[in-house]
Amino acid sequence: MSGQQPKAVVSRGWRSTTAAACGWAAAVPLAAMMLLTVADVGLRAVLNRPLRGTLEIVELLLACTFFLALPALFLRDEHIVVDVVDGFVGGPGGRRVALLKRLAGMLGVLLMAVMAWQGWIAARDSLMFNDVTSDLSLPMIWYWIPVLAGMIGSVFAAAVMLFWKETPR
Amino acid sequence: MSVLAIGILGVVGLLVLIFARVPIAIALAASGLCGYAALDGWAKALKMFGSVPFNLASAYSLSVIPLFILMGAVASRANMARELFEASNAIFSGIRGALASATIGACAAFGSICGSSIATAAAFSKVSIPEMRRYGYDAGFAAGAVASAGTLGILIPPSVMLAVYSIVAEQSLARLFAAAMVPGIVLAVLYVITVTLVARLRPDLMPKAPSLSFAQRLRAARSLWKLALLFFLAVVGIYLGWFSPTEAAAVSAFAAIVIAFATRHMDWRGLADALLDTVYATARLFFIVVGAFVFARFIVLTQFPNEVARWVLATGVGPAWILLAVTALYVLLGTFLDEVSTILITVPVTLPLITGIGFDGVWFGIFVTVMCTIGLISPPTGMTVFVIQAQHPNIPVARIYLGTLPFLAADFVLVGLLIAVPQLVSWLPGLLKI
Repeated sequence: MSGQQPKAVVSRGWRSTTAAACGWAAAVPLAAMMLLTVADVGLRAVLNRPLRGTLEIVELLLACTFFLALPALFLRDEHIVVDVVDGFVGGPGGRRVALLKRLAGMLGVLLMAVMAWQGWIAARDSLMFNDVTSDLSLPMIWYWIPVLAGMIGSVFAAAVMLFWKETPR
Repeated sequence: MSVLAIGILGVVGLLVLIFARVPIAIALAASGLCGYAALDGWAKALKMFGSVPFNLASAYSLSVIPLFILMGAVASRANMARELFEASNAIFSGIRGALASATIGACAAFGSICGSSIATAAAFSKVSIPEMRRYGYDAGFAAGAVASAGTLGILIPPSVMLAVYSIVAEQSLARLFAAAMVPGIVLAVLYVITVTLVARLRPDLMPKAPSLSFAQRLRAARSLWKLALLFFLAVVGIYLGWFSPTEAAAVSAFAAIVIAFATRHMDWRGLADALLDTVYATARLFFIVVGAFVFARFIVLTQFPNEVARWVLATGVGPAWILLAVTALYVLLGTFLDEVSTILITVPVTLPLITGIGFDGVWFGIFVTVMCTIGLISPPTGMTVFVIQAQHPNIPVARIYLGTLPFLAADFVLVGLLIAVPQLVSWLPGLLKI
């Protein structure tokens, strides 16, 4: 018991550090998205010269914001869940609820793995056909990189949450 | 098995997964993927499953959501809630129930710079409840007033919920924002009337607070320039043709940060926290949107919504009964589903039904959002109630729910008004010619 407690604390620290790292990786593109759009609006208003390709870069930054933050959603266990069943199966701390959580976790790992697998195939096709955006001719694989990083990161994050048994402090 | 039967099975499967504690986003994606595969084969289903998240997460129209969330997160951290409360109190000061009415006025104003009810309730629960309790207000009523007033955040534009609806229902966001303005103001007025009525019937719940002097009122009202500027950038700028919704969201988020720094109400640490809060909230919301779009692809393939609409209309049931049934459905869903999931799961099915009886998609967007405000304060899972309880653990949840009851009545009055007078929704978009 006493030997497990430090491990749990370390794990919480590791989990929250990784989640914060994902959060920061997503926050930087969010700030960039805001600043870029403001610069575009400002230049258009003052000099009548909007920034070319803002829309495509905002789309890239949006993909970074969402997908790089996605593993943090798993690590912080912040999914929206309907828990009305808890009262009928022995309360939130009960074994049946734990079993339901475990099954939901397994489904999450499986689903994210399928999503990452299919994303990988689509990204590979995009790379093979040299897909580019219409305005700036940005390679579409640039968009796929954060998407795949988020998907694969989420598979690992979901697996960590599935196998990690929380020890009370 | 017929296509319709697979559709029904998919919906039942989704509900089973949701009630089995599967996260809503995963339940939507899993049932959508399996249903699509049952109809069109695994090869096409998997291809769809690989492309939907990518297409959605890099869709320019969605960038409005994190930027409006950021503006709200900054406003919440930059003391704007307290300033608005003081300014609102300057208006209502001297009458019985002034602090509760001031909370409602301030929440309505805060809703015009913050598109989230949770953020609005969280901000005002720290500011208003201690003040109301200091003057002897009943704890349950004070908390109920904040929980209910907080719901104005998703109705008064800019609203994150309306942005989500605009995507799922393919409606103009500018039109939805304009359409929500009058119902939002009407709901705020109904809440103030509710406070006045309760003050008459139960004066013991809210003792009279001392009146402010003219100088104090003037001083409190001075801080309203921040709200006026942010609202102008976030909403009015769209109708003046200066900005697209995404640009308006970016400019107003940036302005909120500049104001917060210039008035020394935020430091770099505060900005970092606001950015992190925003990306976590965005991930939570977008993941459900991804799941909902996978599910929607399956539902569209089944023609389930059209079949339901055709079946209901063929039964010859009058529009009033259909509206009553849809209202009952949303009241029921509001008791256990959050507002984003409610909109994403139901709108693809209910929208064809509602348009079939003569209402348009914009009207329905406002109607659904009002129904979501009811869900936010309905037991057992009223989200704004939980937010307040988390910050004031000494107020029992049951007392907060009791405190929201008079305001629930006001919500239903607004639902009735929307049905009886749909011009409440269509008047402003018509005036602005959008």
